[in-house]
Amino acid sequence: MRDVAIVGVGSTQFGRAQWSLLKMMCEASHDAIVDAAIGERKIDAVYVANMGSVRTSRQAGLASALVDRLNLFPAAAEVVENGPASGASAVKHGVQAVASGMCDLVLVCGGERMNEVNAFDATETVSYLSHRYAEYVYGVTLPALAGMFARLYMDRHGVEPRHLAMVAIKNHANGARNRKAHLRIPVTMEGILTGPDAFMNNPPVAEPLRFFDCCPVSDGSSAVLLAPAALAAEFRPKPVLVAGIGQATDCQAVHERPDPTQLPAVRLAAEKAFAMAGIGPADIDVAELHDAFTILEIAESEEAGFFAPGEGAKALERGDTALGGRLPINPSGGLKARGHPVGNTGVSQVVELALQLRGEAGDYQVAGNPERGFALNFGGFGNNVVATVLKGGV
Amino acid sequence: MTRTLFDWDAGEPLTPEEERMIDELEAKLRPPALPMAPYPPKAITLASGEVMVVRQASTDEVDTMLRIIEPVMWLKRDFFDIVAARLFGELLAWKLHRVRNEYCLVGVVDGELAGIVNGRLVDEKHGMSYHTLTLKRGLRVGAHLFASKMEHHIEFLGQDEVWIVAESPIGHRRWMIEYPLEEKFDVQHELGGAPSWVLTRETYFKAKERLVSGTRPVPEELLARSWPIREPDLRVMLVQVEDLLESRI
Amino acid sequence: MAGTVDAARCRACARLTYPTHYYCPACGGREFEPVPIEGEGTLLTWTRVHALPLDYEQRYITLGIVELDMGIRATGRLEMGDPAIGRRERA
Repeated sequence: MRDVAIVGVGSTQFGRAQWSLLKMMCEASHDAIVDAAIGERKIDAVYVANMGSVRTSRQAGLASALVDRLNLFPAAAEVVENGPASGASAVKHGVQAVASGMCDLVLVCGGERMNEVNAFDATETVSYLSHRYAEYVYGVTLPALAGMFARLYMDRHGVEPRHLAMVAIKNHANGARNRKAHLRIPVTMEGILTGPDAFMNNPPVAEPLRFFDCCPVSDGSSAVLLAPAALAAEFRPKPVLVAGIGQATDCQAVHERPDPTQLPAVRLAAEKAFAMAGIGPADIDVAELHDAFTILEIAESEEAGFFAPGEGAKALERGDTALGGRLPINPSGGLKARGHPVGNTGVSQVVELALQLRGEAGDYQVAGNPERGFALNFGGFGNNVVATVLKGGV
Repeated sequence: MTRTLFDWDAGEPLTPEEERMIDELEAKLRPPALPMAPYPPKAITLASGEVMVVRQASTDEVDTMLRIIEPVMWLKRDFFDIVAARLFGELLAWKLHRVRNEYCLVGVVDGELAGIVNGRLVDEKHGMSYHTLTLKRGLRVGAHLFASKMEHHIEFLGQDEVWIVAESPIGHRRWMIEYPLEEKFDVQHELGGAPSWVLTRETYFKAKERLVSGTRPVPEELLARSWPIREPDLRVMLVQVEDLLESRI
Repeated sequence: MAGTVDAARCRACARLTYPTHYYCPACGGREFEPVPIEGEGTLLTWTRVHALPLDYEQRYITLGIVELDMGIRATGRLEMGDPAIGRRERA
């Protein structure tokens, strides 16, 4: 296998799209191509990550459409759909194509335009991820699964509502520094939990989860350009390397899992990615985790091996995961504040880590020249998880 | 006669005789008004920790509000355009005495306008809700102000019902489910074709604990800072209004 | 909770599964017989969901996962007014 380098990254503003889904994807792709400075070299393949374009934008065959707009003929083109983990899955396919020697330059572009449909429709679309006959028909949505998970997890591990609020406060504070984030509003403990008006500010969504425990419905596109490390040396000195990727699946109906407070697919995906990279959780300097719900950041930080079971909330409380902490988690604001354009999220996490490892994250740059990054992209409710380990240019 | 931005055809000042005649005609155009209890101001701590004062606006503040609303009329998103355009007309009508029993509440954060709600009294017992315009988004300012408006109608103006329609389907559906509102299809709402929905005294008091917040009295010094309304940087405001959406998956 | 929903019992190893799978998760068998989901169980976790998709007119619905005495778990609507982890519930 060849070593694979990330030679270019690009991202649109997250939030509400100014343009069509395809135009957003063109913007992000263009930025990645320009960033890579590939000159006259041709792109061999395009992988697009998206979950709902057929429903939200009435566009199927998104990858072929993107090749058309970007004039990349006759590049190979496919859409990768893996729910909220589509992004990391598409990156994985791109990495496989380059590592195998089948392709040299590969563009991976994620894009989602959720706000083309109203919020109720978006909830509906995302709830299609649940088991159609054992969950969906009873009104189960992703927040419902997260709410049930949160109640049991909090009961067993002594996690309190204030810990969930701390995740929101941390990630909103980080998002406020990221000019491409969807929500650039800092929030406070008084405002969302302890103050007299907190209940109205932060109403229940899926108890015990409240409004500020859930990520927003976002539009956005991100792109990375991949190349064999040997070729990358010709035009992009010191590129970021994809050191490891791991993926694991689990039961679709959450109640069938042996222990519904554990996320074994997270643990297995992380273990595989670390094994491939030849490093461990202790070597990671910065992480982007899938905090679609605040409880998930705490649970994932344990399952991925950064903290012992039950210790995630304590690490958070100590400030270990803050921007200036020992292991900053979600310096970009995470899904919570940067936003969650569903199919694009995994690509955007990789873009954020690449910026951190290049030292180009600006106002939310992790100090001390981080060298190794970890991303976790969580599909369904933990039934398909992709972990990625990146290494900075040596 | 003070001239504002909106007296486009200013012309020459009137003679006293002309002014007297116009006053007589003017008096015929002005509707009689019901006495209306004032809205006691309250303070709400937002999610951001910022404190929003909700207070009654006066007609002296209309011109400032119009300057802030005007660019929003061109925002073709989430029905901001129609809400802003109608609110512009309603506030102007209020200032120029062309509408009966209108009131306007504003949410102000450190002098900056966060949102506007308005409505009017149809008669002593029935209220007509007009509009809710949120300028500071992502912090549930609209929900707070809509609740304040209902509070004003039922608790301070002592009304039995408030008639409501919404421009935005999402806003409509949220209120329908949250309060919940009831059908009042025999009443024609003033905002156009859609049949009215109604919030009754009974549904209000059932929802109050859940939906109405805020603390009274507002400390003097804090209240003082809610005057005058400062015009926000309109460009920044518009970007914020457009970018921040409050829905969750 | 669910009215007339069936779990599946593997004809080869008698393992009960809900929902059904193509292969038995225990022995890989492909022959199953339906077993109605019934009896009592213990509430494992629950939530009141306020963010509902289209077609819901309620303010919220209550959902939970119940560990049934018959040996499976099921997700569904809860009718009880004051759910709590560990409470008994009828299928």
